[in-house]
Parts: sequence; C-alpha cells; structure tokens
Amino acid sequence: MINLILKLFIPFRWFIEKMGADYDQFIRILKLKLTLDDRRANKYSKKSKNAQEKTLIKQSFFQIFMGVFFAMFLIMIKTPFTFFYIAHTFLMAMMAMMIISEFSTILFDTSENVIIQPLPIKGNTISLARNAHVFIYLAMMAFCLSVVTIIIAIYKFGSLSGLIFVFTIFLNVLFTLFFANILYLGIMRLVSGERLKNLLMYFQIAIAIFFMAAYQIGLRMVDKTAIQEMVLPVHWFTYLLPPAFFSGLIEALTTLNFDQSHLLFIAEALVVPPVAIYFTGKYLTPVFNRKLMELEQGDRVTKIKIETAHKSLWYRMLSSLFVHTTEEKAAFKMMWKMTGRERQFKQTLLPTFGYVIIMMILPNVGKHGSFSDFTSGYKYLFILYVFMMVSFALCSALLIGNNQSSAWVFKSMPLKSPASFFKGAINAAFARYFIPFYLAVGTVVCFLWGIKVMPDVFIAFLSVYLITSLLYYFQQPGFPFSLEKTAVQGGSNAMKVFALMALAGVVGFVHYLLLRWFDFANLILIPLYCSAIYYVNGIMVYRKITWKEVDRVNDYS
Amino acid sequence: MTNQIIVEIRNLRKNYGPKQVLQGIDLEITSGQIIGYIGPNGAGKSTTVKILCGLITDFYGDITIFGKDLRKDTLEIKRQVGYIPENAVLYESLTPLEFMEFVGEMRGLGTEQTRDKAEKLMNIFEMKQNLNQRIATFSKGMRQKVLICSALLHNPDLIFMDEPLSGLDANSVIMVKEMLIHLAHDGKTIFYSSHLMDVVEKISDRIILIDQGKVIADGSFDELNKLSNDENLEKMFTRLTGNTDHGEKAEAFINAFEK
Repeated sequence: MINLILKLFIPFRWFIEKMGADYDQFIRILKLKLTLDDRRANKYSKKSKNAQEKTLIKQSFFQIFMGVFFAMFLIMIKTPFTFFYIAHTFLMAMMAMMIISEFSTILFDTSENVIIQPLPIKGNTISLARNAHVFIYLAMMAFCLSVVTIIIAIYKFGSLSGLIFVFTIFLNVLFTLFFANILYLGIMRLVSGERLKNLLMYFQIAIAIFFMAAYQIGLRMVDKTAIQEMVLPVHWFTYLLPPAFFSGLIEALTTLNFDQSHLLFIAEALVVPPVAIYFTGKYLTPVFNRKLMELEQGDRVTKIKIETAHKSLWYRMLSSLFVHTTEEKAAFKMMWKMTGRERQFKQTLLPTFGYVIIMMILPNVGKHGSFSDFTSGYKYLFILYVFMMVSFALCSALLIGNNQSSAWVFKSMPLKSPASFFKGAINAAFARYFIPFYLAVGTVVCFLWGIKVMPDVFIAFLSVYLITSLLYYFQQPGFPFSLEKTAVQGGSNAMKVFALMALAGVVGFVHYLLLRWFDFANLILIPLYCSAIYYVNGIMVYRKITWKEVDRVNDYS
Repeated sequence: MTNQIIVEIRNLRKNYGPKQVLQGIDLEITSGQIIGYIGPNGAGKSTTVKILCGLITDFYGDITIFGKDLRKDTLEIKRQVGYIPENAVLYESLTPLEFMEFVGEMRGLGTEQTRDKAEKLMNIFEMKQNLNQRIATFSKGMRQKVLICSALLHNPDLIFMDEPLSGLDANSVIMVKEMLIHLAHDGKTIFYSSHLMDVVEKISDRIILIDQGKVIADGSFDELNKLSNDENLEKMFTRLTGNTDHGEKAEAFINAFEK
C-alpha cells in the first residue's frame, strides 16, 4: 500500500525537485512517516494487529456515507456548472475542517526534527514531505467523500465529466493545502512562541465553530424547489472563487464550450493550484520551517512561570460535591489542574462548546411566531439536551495527550482499584468545564421560561452527567492524556457522536413525553436518575475499571 | 531489625512471547543493605525491578516481600515500597509540588504533610526554587531528582531504583550516593540497577550480576574479588559476561569506517 502511494509521486519528480527538494530523500521521509502511521495504532491495542487498517476502513466508510448525504442534495441540481461548483465548495470546506481539526498537529509536528535535522537534508525537503503527508490523507478523504458524487456526475453528465471531476478534485486538494499554509503562516507572522501555540488553539476552535455554523445556516437557507432551479450567476468575482475554476473547467471540456469566460476558468484551474503549490514549496515552507523552529526554541525559554496554588471557594465546593474519598480527591485536584493546562485537551474539547451554542440558537432563529409562543412550549428541553454533545468530547479529549509513559505512577502506587482515579478524572473535567457553562445556560433558560422549569434543568443535568460517566467508564480505560492523536482517527469518532446524539434525542424525548402526560414526572425522574448515578459511580465503576482492564490498555514501561 | 530477610525470590521466570527474559532467579535480600543489580543490556535488570514493584504482574515463580506474597498482598507491599523508574517521564504540565502532592495523597498522606516533605526533599537537591515551575521546563537531571523525591515521600522501607543516576551531574551523583548510604544506615534496603560500575563497586554492600536472565555472580565486591582477582568491577563484569575481546571489536569498528 505504502509503496503504491509512493509510486504515484514518480511522475511529479521534476516538480518536486523544482521546488528545491531532494526527491530521493523526500520519498524516504514520506515512507518513514507512512510506515510510522501504519504501526502506531498497534502500540495501544495489543490484541488486534490490523487495528490501524480497520480504523482506516471504518473512516473511509464513514466518509463515503457522508458523501451519500451530500450527493442526495446534489442530485437535484440540473446545470453541471452549479453541480460541480457546490461539490467543490463542499469538498474544500470539509478539507479545511479536516486540516484544522486533525492535521494541524502533523503540520506543526516537530518531534521528528531531532532525528531528521542532524542529517544532511534541506529544510525544504522536510517540509515538503510534511505537506505531502497531509496531502495523501486529504486526497484519500476527498476521494472517499466524492465517490458517490462521481458516480452521479457520470450518470448525469457523462463519463467524461466524471473523469475530469476526479482530476479537479486532485487540483482542489492541492489548492486547499496551499491555502492552509498561507493561513498558518499569516498567523505565525503575527505572534511567536508560546503565545502562538495558544493563539493557534483558539483560532482552530473558532474556525471549527465557524464551519459548523456556516454548514447549519447553509442547510437552513435552501429549500428544495430553489435547488432544482438553482443556477449560479457568473459575476466578476466568480472568477476569483476556486471552486468556480474547477467547475468551469469541467463544463468547458464536456460541453466543448471555449468562450472567453470558460477559457479563463480553464486557465485558472490548471495554473493556479500548481503555481500555488510551487510557491508554497519554494517560498512559504522555508519561512514556515524557520517559524516552527522559533516555536520550538521559544517554548523552552519563555515557559518558565510560577504556578500558584489554586484553592478558590468554587474549586472547593465542586470538589466536595463530586468526590469523597481521599484518593478521588487527589485525582480530582491533579486533573483539575491538568485539564486547565493540556493544550490538546482544550483543543479537542472547547470547539464542542461552540457547537453546542450554535445547535442551541440556530434551530430557533428565523422561524416565524412570537416570542411568547417560543417560551411557552418545551423548546428548552432541546436546548438542555444538546449538552450531550459535550459528554463525548469530554471523554475522548481526556484520552488524548503526550503523557504516554507516565502510567507507571499509578501502577507503582498502592491502589486497590484504579477506578477511584478514573472517577476523580472525569469528575474534575466535568466540573471544571461543564458546570459553569451549564449553569449559565440553565440560568438563561430559567429566566426565559420561568422558575417552574428549574426541575427540568436539573433533570437534564443529571442525565447528561449520567451519560458522561457511563461513556467514560465504557471507553477504553487509558490513563488521562496518554493516547497519541493520530492522523487516522476521525471517522469512527463521528460515528459514535451520531449514536450519542440519537441517545440524547431518546432521553430528551422520554423526558418530554413524561412531562406531557402528567405533571409529576419530575418526581419520578429525579430519584430515578439519582439512583442510576449512584449505581454507576458507586458500584458499576469498580466492576468495570479493574486493574485487569486497565493493564490491557496501558503500558507501564 | 538487621539481617532480616525482606525480599525472597524463588525461581523467577518471565517471558516476552517466545523470548525468555528471566530464566529462574533466586535471591534473598536482607534489610539495611544496598544492593547493586548489574548486567549487560537486555539481561533482565529492568524487568526484575518492574516485577518487584508490581508493574509487571504476569511472571512465574514466587516472590515474598516483607514476608508477604507479592501476588496476593500487592497493595500492602506497594505501601512500603518506593520506585524510581529509569526514564524520567512525568506529567509535564504539572509542577513538582503538584505532582508530589498527587502521589502523596494517592498514597494516603495528608496534603500538608506531603507538601512539607516535598519541600524538604527538594531542598536537599537544591531545587526548592523550582517547586512551582512546570516540569516541562526541566532538564533530565532535574526530572530525575523530582522522581527520586516523589519516591521517598512516604518513607518507604524498601526502595527500588532503575538507573537512578542516569542524567545526573557529578555533584548530584555524589549526593545520591551519600543519600543511599544514609538511607541504608537508617535500616532501609535499596535495590538498584546501574551501569556505572565504579559507583556500584563503591557503595554496594552486595553486588548481583545477571546475564541472559540468570544470576552469574552474587556477593560483596570483596567476596567476589577473592574468587577471581579482578582489578575492579568493570573488568569482572566484562570477564563474566563474556566480552573479553574488546580490543578486537574496537579494531573491527575502526575497520568498518575505512571501507
């Protein structure tokens, strides 16, 4: 598989060399990176040797699946130009999201510098290989997402346009990659060192939220009849939009229409991506590399700061509310601090809060009806149960981090069961991030719907807490921040999110139904949830998280 | 208290797949001793230490520590044991104080008590001013010191160390050496693996040399020396582990360059 991928680069040898890289070294570095990816997963799941392959397949399936949804929307569009324009826009957006959420760690990965830099390799070669690495994954993703679209395109507009579409997907990936490089460089220009890493984190969070919002708004704006007749008008600025280049190219070649505007599109499509990527390779990556190096060094020098003991009233309140034994308290205290400091944790978790806000607000804006209609119904239940999204993010974010080899600490301590540590961990993360946010939203809900909904706010809270605990205890019991974030992971996670959202829907709906049926539903639900929580936190966790289970996942050497 | 057997290992074996790392180790360790555990790379030193600390649980043979079975009373034993791992891997985003507070509290010490002890220990290593800085900024030696301190928080009777001196500067090596001797005087038992032959030779009451998963020499340096008359431990080490042709090998190494 790896060799096959690498062979695909052979025709572009002259281009890679033109950008100032040594082709043989470039291929070797790329091979090294791909081999590492290939073997990484096995380190953690000792049982299955081809776990990595499985996740790759799972992820591809998920992307094809998503492609189906998208294609269903596209199938109604009649004109090829609009069809391909939207397809390319979708691809670009998806890739941008992917770069931001998954691949920025690869783009900024300096861990191999220790090994590669002392060797006589030009900086250009290293960074080109890094970009090519990302490119391979992006291209794979883009093709998976568009498989169905390609089939539809062939069916609707003929096999020639399908073929050209495939070709333009490749150009699109190149262009998006260039765009990401420019974007990151732009930010790196502005700040440096430790602040840059933090800024990048918040930037990524903002972008992720932005895309989610754009996607939601986009879905809401179209209605079916409009889609069928949708024809994109070509304005002067259309010539500046990359998706238009590609769809213009496809249209021109399939309809053999070579008028002025089509020629312009063709020229843009064929010239801009290669030139952009050439520009990236030749001029941007050296700057990028230099900035990256400063980042590394800046990290060492500027980071020395004194941490002061954190013992606010708020912390003490939450700590005594959530944990009771000394072991749990110790874990709670440590994790409270670490969740506030681990960058990767925040990077994974914080966007979710943005999503939650969008999910809460968007379905309720732009609808007709008075405000009093809005606040008289049960809409607040939806708002509250959207928080279930955070559950999943919390649990998976707790796993990811750079502390692969710190697990020995736990094993060398006289702990009867590791469960108390895991309990402290999830409760600390939950208390630190979830509670303040939920309190704020809960207050707004109480303010809008009246004090009478307070029990419901409380019930929703209990159910989210219950689900979060369950999720955390049922996922693989890796010690916090001990799992490496790999390039191949995203897809299967998204599947779980879907399942969880369905669950949230069910739980919320049951709550709603009970409220409709009789007035004292709360009196049943509150004790029910409380006893369930007691069971999960007091009994189940000790059965589920045992040393036997934990030893299977963690490595103590 | 002296001369009490506190660790007893009977026919300890351990496999990693088909590879047998430990092939039947028998040892008795008495309290108040410093035991140097030496052997070539891959001989099974770290594996032994990890088994004794309860990090590796699937092994064959019997181990009794403080008269208790390691398999059954793991927790009791862990309570009285301190472990200093080889690679200084710590939670980087914490400060030493926070890390030690966590370790101490998990072991059941009070917060104040832990903090007090941590400050004292770190002060000995001249790291008091670093107590509230993140570990991420520390050098390898500083991390090693943090590890040593956090293993001593609960005043263990038996201390296992895996290469405790790696990464420490000369001053710190001397200090750790002194510290080990002091601890042994207090009746504590120290079992440590090392590659530094001169250190092992000087401070160990007893030296255990293993090769390919078996004990091949055991006794104080003087005792061992009587049997063989080697000048120093290094010479004995190379003779016993079968690498006497260093000269030839070095030559072959140089020849490899010339081609």
